[in-house]
Amino acid sequence: MIRFPSSLSEIEAPGANPPVIRAGSTDLTERRRLRMASGPLLDLRDLAGLDTIEWDPLGAATVGAKVHIAGAAADLALARAYPGFCAAAGALATPQIRAVGTVGGNLLQANRCWYYRNPDERCLKKGGAACLARAGDHLYHACFDLGPCACVHPSTLGMALLAYEASVMVHGGKDLTVQALYGDGSDVTGDHRLPPGALLTHVVLPPPQPREQAAYFRTISRARSEWPLVEVLVRLVVDDGTVSFARVAMGGVAPVPLRLTAVEAALVGQPAKAATFAKAAAIATDGAKPLPMTKYKLELVVGTVLETLERAGHATPSTTTAVVPAAEAAAAEATPAEAAAAETTPAQSDAKAAGKAEKAGGV
Amino acid sequence: MTNEISTTRRGFLRGSIGTAGAALVADAACSRPLELESGVGTQAPATVEAGERVPVSTTVNGKARSLEVHPDDSALDVVRKTLGLTGSKLGCGHGACGACTMQLDGTPVVTCLLPATALEGRTVITVEGLGAEGDDHGEPPETALHPVQRAFMAEDALQCGYCTPGFVVEAAAFHDAWRKEHGDSKPSRDEVAAALSGHLCRCGAYTQIYAAVQGACAGRFDAADSPVPRYDAHEKVTGKAAYTVDQQPKGLLHAKTLCSPHAHAVVTKLDWTRALAVPGVRGAISLLGESKKIRYAGQEIMALAATDERTAEEALLLVDIEYDVQPAAIGMAAALAPGAPVVYAAKSDRKHPANSSEGPLFPEPWEGNLRGPLKLFSKKDGQARKQLEKARAGEGTLVEGTWYTQVQCHTTLEPHTAMAQWSGEDELTLHLSTQAVHHMAGEIAERWGLKEERVRVLAQYVGGGFGSKATLTSEVVIAVELARVCGGPVLYVLDRRQDLMIGGNRPGSKCEMALATDAKGMLTAMRSVTHSDSGSAVGGVVGVMHRIVYPEAPREIHDYDVINHAPPGKPFRGPAGPQAYWALEQAVDQVAHIRGEDPVELRKRWDPNPARNALYTWVQTLPAWKDRPAHKADRGRYRRGMGLATAAWFSFTEPGCRIQIDAGPDGIVASTAAQDMGNGTRTSIACLIAESLGVPMRAIDVRVGDSHYVPGPMAGGSRTTASVVPSAQHAAEQLKEELVDLAKKHFSLRGAHAADGGVGHEGGKVPWSEVLAISPKISVVGRRKRDEGGYFLPPILGLAIERAIAGSLQVVELEVDTRLGHTKVLRTWGGYGVGRIVSPTLARSQAQGGIIQGISYALYEERRLDPGRGFLLTAGLEDYRIMGIGDVGEIHVHFDETGYEKIRGRSVGLAELVTLAPAAAIGNAMFHATGWRPHELPLRPDRVLQGVRG
Repeated sequence: MIRFPSSLSEIEAPGANPPVIRAGSTDLTERRRLRMASGPLLDLRDLAGLDTIEWDPLGAATVGAKVHIAGAAADLALARAYPGFCAAAGALATPQIRAVGTVGGNLLQANRCWYYRNPDERCLKKGGAACLARAGDHLYHACFDLGPCACVHPSTLGMALLAYEASVMVHGGKDLTVQALYGDGSDVTGDHRLPPGALLTHVVLPPPQPREQAAYFRTISRARSEWPLVEVLVRLVVDDGTVSFARVAMGGVAPVPLRLTAVEAALVGQPAKAATFAKAAAIATDGAKPLPMTKYKLELVVGTVLETLERAGHATPSTTTAVVPAAEAAAAEATPAEAAAAETTPAQSDAKAAGKAEKAGGV
Repeated sequence: MTNEISTTRRGFLRGSIGTAGAALVADAACSRPLELESGVGTQAPATVEAGERVPVSTTVNGKARSLEVHPDDSALDVVRKTLGLTGSKLGCGHGACGACTMQLDGTPVVTCLLPATALEGRTVITVEGLGAEGDDHGEPPETALHPVQRAFMAEDALQCGYCTPGFVVEAAAFHDAWRKEHGDSKPSRDEVAAALSGHLCRCGAYTQIYAAVQGACAGRFDAADSPVPRYDAHEKVTGKAAYTVDQQPKGLLHAKTLCSPHAHAVVTKLDWTRALAVPGVRGAISLLGESKKIRYAGQEIMALAATDERTAEEALLLVDIEYDVQPAAIGMAAALAPGAPVVYAAKSDRKHPANSSEGPLFPEPWEGNLRGPLKLFSKKDGQARKQLEKARAGEGTLVEGTWYTQVQCHTTLEPHTAMAQWSGEDELTLHLSTQAVHHMAGEIAERWGLKEERVRVLAQYVGGGFGSKATLTSEVVIAVELARVCGGPVLYVLDRRQDLMIGGNRPGSKCEMALATDAKGMLTAMRSVTHSDSGSAVGGVVGVMHRIVYPEAPREIHDYDVINHAPPGKPFRGPAGPQAYWALEQAVDQVAHIRGEDPVELRKRWDPNPARNALYTWVQTLPAWKDRPAHKADRGRYRRGMGLATAAWFSFTEPGCRIQIDAGPDGIVASTAAQDMGNGTRTSIACLIAESLGVPMRAIDVRVGDSHYVPGPMAGGSRTTASVVPSAQHAAEQLKEELVDLAKKHFSLRGAHAADGGVGHEGGKVPWSEVLAISPKISVVGRRKRDEGGYFLPPILGLAIERAIAGSLQVVELEVDTRLGHTKVLRTWGGYGVGRIVSPTLARSQAQGGIIQGISYALYEERRLDPGRGFLLTAGLEDYRIMGIGDVGEIHVHFDETGYEKIRGRSVGLAELVTLAPAAAIGNAMFHATGWRPHELPLRPDRVLQGVRG
């Protein structure tokens, strides 16, 4: 069965057998094929009102859950206010997936663990008795082993929004902070803590920081289009050469996106220079609990945090103040978010890399 | 006798030792009367498919369409199957490869994941609609093509063509947006890479794709005036090339298989009664042998066919199956551990094991899971041992080490696919994604006891093979048997998970290598002991490569198979080569390093091969090589280094290859039962004949991909060029003789002779077209004549080894990021000595693709199985990583066309040679950059960081 509600009022509170909610379906289609998500569909295709980005008087954005990832990445006003978020959105998956996948879907997608995705296997997350990766091959799994499940959380945007201290609005449930949306990794029933059948309708970002320097970077083996070994988002505000504000979040390392508050604390009040970044990056592994095959990730955690801090340190501060008039934002010469996404350039040591890093916050 | 359909195979040498005369899967139930182990659905043919339908109104290629779709149908399925627009392809099924890309309201999107219901009210453009708006089936003229399509043709930005529609649709959208914003300026490589980052090309046409997209954006292809070097490029850029997966005859049934989740088990119960009762299910067959034994996870147990894929999949869930699951030995260490379960315990099981090599199986000792050693390729091994002892005692130089390689999957973007249809009980037509049209027809005739002329194998377009589609494997058996049981055409397509599991793989290896020199630095001994992990197959012969290079020194060569409960290996482009050179060429580099000697000078002293010596001379003039930095010159975060490696490959030919030319007033048709999987068979034949006649390539109508034509070569072992070139030349010569005779008589010419473009005579020239216009139908058959002086190994059941060893030299410049472990190959130079190059553009494309596959193997690719139970973990193109366009640096190709005078046609094969040395060259460049000598592939970031830290 499939339904296409056109307004939220047509979506009743989730009952005993909640439907499977479908938006872009870039994750769901495969899970339906693998019979991991069966049952009636509630398709959001015709649902009005969730595909826009709204701004409040303080300059804070509310992003509809149906906004396409590519749309978020390319939105000039959004990139001006939240450059790190847009850079992350422009760097995840592939262009053809970003064009179809939605912001809400990205937050609520299921993890990519190769045991979980095997239709013949019943792992902990599928109601089985044990995490199969733990005893098996977990080369790409958690190095912050926080829960019974050893997978890493797949949502780049979830990680990014953690650094923005964002929250989500829920139809048929309580609104949640992004932190609460994912919890601490101890819950193995899903990859998020939204009740079944509840509909995430909007992402609410707090007002942007003025003069934010942001960068997003993912460490992968190829140049592009690969799930991260480690990914990091850094937001800095630098006043007179001193870091006055820092937010650092990391993905690809734990069953939930992590915010690195110790790293943030090591940055604030310190000069925005290499020695500070190195010192802060060195404590990014505090609390890490690697699995036997993921010890290598600890070095990548330090390297990726350092890389992203340096890129943020070189980034041009955002010019957004309190309010973003739409017309002005559109006219601004913003760098498309995709170009801002930190990538491994063909010749990595070329000055280009630094140039790119500058662009990361270059709006 | 093994029971597994999917593993039993022959080597490329027909009737190979050890398998001679063995019928394939002779004890599989489906080869015998089927009463007991097959069944036919009892219900009447389903008229209305059960299930919910959703109305969808959409516009596709300018035409309004009203559709009824299932809620879970993908947009791709509906466009391909309901609308019959098969240009867009299913590659991976999860958005990683981009073959399914269409434009939705002008934006490229992933359609294998996009629900068909999402097309409501939207506008779709597929490859068929590019540049020819509103016409989704018509024949757009060349001028109606999109500039990007023309650019892909002109730059030869495609090989097998399976990924091409996706690339073209994406690139067209990028081009249109770019020109709107930037006019005719050229986008950077990085900008192109970002736009195309959601596409994978397994043939490795990336260099040409960069050129095509950049050129089109710069306005170079707005007019249709560029030459098209590849004969079948137009069909591939327009989506008209029909592959086996695109076959949709009326009444088509779809097959699905039940595969074992267990690596080692006995099936104790198999009952498909409930599955057969599902409306739409038409029949089922067992694929189990008498022993009911499972030897690897993914092994096909039974198959059924239904009116549509969803019904077949749902019916499979109703099959009642029970297993007696037994402990499995996964990987070489587990297989050799004391008390390990033995994969082939009974002597009878060992008679005809699956063969992962390209050659014959030799009789070898076999204890438990260890088969070998094969010592055949040793030479003066006693002397080699003595020389090694001397070196160990301090005389000369000694290098010893153990090198490991991973299992690599072929990953053809068109998965293994077969469609079969019977006419009566004795006539069979198949569409196969195969590298061996002619040979498959023979094997199928033999296998099913049919007359060869009653079997027709068709393969107009093949979406990659790389060795995995050269033999009769399970997909053929499943399609043929189900077609018989169900009485209708049956299509069987492996899904990506299955294809990565059982579609084929290059065996992993552990190679202990030792080289000894005397005080003067001459090679005095080589020792190689290799254990190959071909899963449940045998045939590891890495040592054969160690025999044919630096051939003068004594050597002890031992090859072992370590048989374990993993899917069987298959021949993979240059079987054994990348593994062999990974070890050997790094050891040679190490000798040069220890001796403080130039690695090219060292090789020149050791190597008498003329093809490689010409390349040594070439590389010594290469500025980048001459001016390379010192060992470990960089000490910072980024470290660059250069390395080189050589490789050798055999020259094969099929003396039985024939090319028929039929000529007359309607033109010239050249035909042979060969196939073109992107290797350029059509182009080579067209080029040769056109050149001989002095006419344009397109004047020749080349037909391949049909077993009813005269016998053509298999595409395997790099034999196509060496087979078709002499045959085409011979056919063209005969045609010219006939036409000259005819013209002489008809036009009363004096001094008539064959000239460029026609019949020359004292008074001028009569063009071929005028002679053909008055000609009766002429039919000539060109043969592949013997090489001068004969062959090194005369034809054994069709395949001869020529008296020449082809040579390659690979130079690599790479950069390592010591912070994040990332390795990037910045520049490569490949030099090849393969004689005359027939089509320079296509040869260059093939070489660059082979280099890209080699780099991909060295840096990214790695099949991983669950270590305890052996099921596939890297089951999709997200986890099984092949190189993307953004990973490709500069690639330069050099051909040395000298030599090979005694080879008929003076051309030998190129396809394997180009992919053998890249990994070893990367290993040497890594050592040069960092001082760390890598021993294990692939060079993942974690390995690089560990290696560089020491």
